[in-house]
Amino acid sequence: MRPAPLLSMQGIEKAYGAVRANQGVDFDVPDGRIVGLLGENGSGKSTLMKILFGMVRPDSGAMLWCGQEYAPRSPADALRAGIGMIHQHFSLAEGMTVAENVSLGWPGAGRWWLRQGRLADQIRAGSAAYGLALEPGSRVADLPLGARQRVEILKALLRGARLLVLDEPTSVLGPAEVAGLLHMLRRLQAGGCSVVLISHKLHEVAAVCDEVVVLRDGRTAARLPRVDATPARLAALLSAAGPAPSIRVAATPGTVRLRLDGVGLRGRLGSVFLDLRAGEVLGLAGTDGNGQQEVAEIAAGLRRPNTGCVTLDGADATGWSARRRMRAGVAYVPADRRGESLVPGMTVAENLVMRDLRAPGFSRWGVLRTAAAAAGARVAIARFGIRAPGPGARVGGLSGGNQQKVALARELTRQPGVLLLVQPTWGLDPGAAAAVRAEVLALRDAGAAVLWASTETEELLEVADHIAVMVAGRVAAVLPRAEASAERLALLIAGPAPACAA
Amino acid sequence: MTALAGFGRAGGAMAASLVVAGMLMLLAGHDPVGAYAAMARGVFGSPDRIAVALNRATPYLLAGSGVALCFRAGLANIGAEGQIALGGLAAAAAALLAPGWLPGLAMPAAALLAAATAGAAWSALAGVLRVWRGVHEVLSTLLLNFVAALLVAEALHGDMGEDGSGFPQSPMLDPSAWLPPLVQGLELHAGAPAALLAAAVLQAVLWRTVPGFQWRLLGFSPRAARYAGVPVARATVAVMAVGGALAGVAGGVEVLGVHQRLIEGFSAGFGFAAVAIALVAAAEPLAVVPAAVFFAALETGSQAMQRATGVPSSLVLVIQGLTLLFVLAGLGRRA
Repeated sequence: MRPAPLLSMQGIEKAYGAVRANQGVDFDVPDGRIVGLLGENGSGKSTLMKILFGMVRPDSGAMLWCGQEYAPRSPADALRAGIGMIHQHFSLAEGMTVAENVSLGWPGAGRWWLRQGRLADQIRAGSAAYGLALEPGSRVADLPLGARQRVEILKALLRGARLLVLDEPTSVLGPAEVAGLLHMLRRLQAGGCSVVLISHKLHEVAAVCDEVVVLRDGRTAARLPRVDATPARLAALLSAAGPAPSIRVAATPGTVRLRLDGVGLRGRLGSVFLDLRAGEVLGLAGTDGNGQQEVAEIAAGLRRPNTGCVTLDGADATGWSARRRMRAGVAYVPADRRGESLVPGMTVAENLVMRDLRAPGFSRWGVLRTAAAAAGARVAIARFGIRAPGPGARVGGLSGGNQQKVALARELTRQPGVLLLVQPTWGLDPGAAAAVRAEVLALRDAGAAVLWASTETEELLEVADHIAVMVAGRVAAVLPRAEASAERLALLIAGPAPACAA
Repeated sequence: MTALAGFGRAGGAMAASLVVAGMLMLLAGHDPVGAYAAMARGVFGSPDRIAVALNRATPYLLAGSGVALCFRAGLANIGAEGQIALGGLAAAAAALLAPGWLPGLAMPAAALLAAATAGAAWSALAGVLRVWRGVHEVLSTLLLNFVAALLVAEALHGDMGEDGSGFPQSPMLDPSAWLPPLVQGLELHAGAPAALLAAAVLQAVLWRTVPGFQWRLLGFSPRAARYAGVPVARATVAVMAVGGALAGVAGGVEVLGVHQRLIEGFSAGFGFAAVAIALVAAAEPLAVVPAAVFFAALETGSQAMQRATGVPSSLVLVIQGLTLLFVLAGLGRRA
């Protein structure tokens, strides 16, 4: 018999209107275990976690925490009980130090006077115990993303968390930092802490989790011990249909569509030379913040380079506005969907047309054709499998992966000649990511020139025909797919000198 | 659909503020029912009273829709006060410089066009400062209010002042430039239906046209707007100009329709009331209509209430303040 679990959620049901997000989910976390929670976008993971943290009340079902009935009414209740959440987006005051961030809203830091000396000791002790490598006095803004994540973890630990829930923790990290994080989770476990790891990266889950729970369509689809949780098995369980098979066909590169000719940006980019050829995917590898974003923005016309020029089909397009480049067939999906590629407060239909307002299909004489936009949105929702109640639903109410599908749907359906993608599958489940790869490869085969920036080398090895590696604002190397391997790319990404994190 | 939500919110806040103010009257030993009845008689008691209330609502509606538009685009334009003042100055100047030059309605129309231009230019100035030098529009529009008031004073104490009146006002305008009454024998002037039309047009522009969509996009996220290909600088200046034009017309209507001359301080407080009204309407141009009428009716009926029941007319300011408070509290909870 298994011992009584630390956390037990039984028969959890929750419906939002007609959408039944959770339909009798059972989810247990045994004491001192790392449990992986997997599921496609919209499978009910977020709802389950919101219920665990008291942000949403379940319609029915019971929760037991340490054998006691547990009914949180707010995240503060959950934290008091000893459950800590590490979100994808950190909630740190960037201008303040690690110690100050830890002390924010924490009674343990002192009720009236901050006990700074004691706090610093606690941070050093906690940091040493779990290998977090944090200094109380360093400013959060100066820390790389991985270290900021460790600050969030330390915050939760010092507040007495016995269970840590990490939501997509590796999506912001480079390969080396991912390895560090997984190692740290083991140390946390050795220290008596339990962990729930929510991730779309099957090999990470398979590598570190003691058991894995798979959600599908709001139900518990499977619960596997570690030995059975192979990436292939997990992929098959995630979607009833199974992942789309990889359909790589060698590219037939054509002429150069877009050329970056020695573009530089003061303090951000050295002179970058890149060619985007028709019918070819150029992968842009590197850890986050090494200039990929800037390269894409310069290509899209949202940033002017200080030096060098951009040519589009041989014509000098350096001074062209973003709109003019859009009209010339350049599509762009930036990484930041909440502030740039999408407007959460607007509807799905509005987000789908926001870059094509002047297109004859969507307006005539400056008057919007809202019916046409709604009809187009219905088509996009069906084609890209966007889980949304309808064209009039606010994008901010969709799950992260479905939001990304909206941005991708808008740019891909325009039949672009040049397609610029930065982290396009970020937050997508494996099935949706495979669908995006297939759509992009279809566009490539139809003659589009594609730039695909990603921090995941495996993804690039699957889609790219050439891979350029960016280190500290420069292109360190451009390899044809045949000469690239995960190991070779990892070496190049790490760079010749000690990597300087942004 | 969204306009309906705006109506509902504004209506609820108005009702709640009347109830709370009624309780205040009870605490002070007055009869709220009698006081509100007296106020209602002061507003609806006769066709003339209704006309006065609607005339009062007209500048509120015009300037309020302009401010609402700016809010939608994420621009905190609080310069309606100055834009109204300059609109009035321009309308008066046009009427004084070209008395009777144009036939019939063309004369007041030309004067209102001058008012719109002046208001638009004054407001666009803040827009240009914003996109060119990064000056926040709250500061520039607020400070430009003082400059506009001083410009009006300068004109009235100088060339445009009436000789020998001993009061900072212009001579009576030529009757050819006056806004004609809507119904013979009533004080109601033609500005009210024009303002209603302006609010409806603005609503349609905001929700049904490409520029309106781009302005709303700008209000949600300037970065997303830039990404979507919106010419952000041009759109910012355009929104400010349209908002300022509406405020300028409000000033022109007040001068041509109510006073028939320019008087120093004729707009005192209208521009700030317009900001409050736009907020009560949750920046929804159509919902500005009931909010503007409510504010105007309160002010029109307050004297009658004071005469009949002794409840001080300044209670109206309390009701207006409460309305704003209720709306903002409601919006806060929603966000």
